[in-house]
Amino acid sequence: MNTHKSEKFHVTTKTEDGVCTVYLRGELDLSVAADFRLVMEPLVEDTALNLAINMKELKYIDSTGIGILLSILKARHGLAVKFTVEEVPPHIQKLFDMTGIAKFFASQENSH
Amino acid sequence: MSDDIQKVIIQLPASAEYVDIVRLNLYGIASKMGFSYEDIEDMKVAVSEACNNSVLYAYEQEDGLVDVIFEVSPNALSITVKDEGESFDNVKASGERMTLHDKELSDVQVGGLGFYLMQALMDEVNVISESGKGTVVTLTKKLHLSEERV
Repeated sequence: MNTHKSEKFHVTTKTEDGVCTVYLRGELDLSVAADFRLVMEPLVEDTALNLAINMKELKYIDSTGIGILLSILKARHGLAVKFTVEEVPPHIQKLFDMTGIAKFFASQENSH
Repeated sequence: MSDDIQKVIIQLPASAEYVDIVRLNLYGIASKMGFSYEDIEDMKVAVSEACNNSVLYAYEQEDGLVDVIFEVSPNALSITVKDEGESFDNVKASGERMTLHDKELSDVQVGGLGFYLMQALMDEVNVISESGKGTVVTLTKKLHLSEERV
């Protein structure tokens, strides 16, 4: 478990079959929050595509990062389009459960 | 090991780019003490939230410093995050019991989760905030030695 290694935050996106998937790597914290928000903005507004964030390689998230996910949830909910998260690591899922954001992701999973 | 508390003190610029340095130091100290992977993850989040508060609210646009003091005792680790900027009374008041559990998506406010996470993830959280004298947050996690070592 190499979680002590600070890994530079990195975002890649892939669009396939009407779904835009955003792959996160490294640590999503206050220092990269503004960059992340900027990357996500046009994707959030794109109602033609379903939006998903893959967190398999995400090592760490702070309340700033969770706050951004929450604004994305709100925005996508407002536009009545889908936003889901996938492959959430256990220690990040724990934070989602604790803060209560998990239930919003769950309700997205079940809606079509 | 003696019963005395040993201290590791680092001082950093109150800037978001340095919060990961605090996490790295925390990892080193906590793993050496024998904390479990899960406990270290909890502390990483809590300590970062305390640092974020200093970075975001203490010094406005001005340069400032944050002191982080790790106090190592045989059965606990206390981490104190200290700034000398504006107090964060307002943040505390608005964030204290804020979670999303009983809310609808359309009602939720973004922000205020940091303080809640500190309380949820640590055994003890102490906040001393005096107007004009800065904020001192002390976070304590008790050490329960188990099989799972990092």
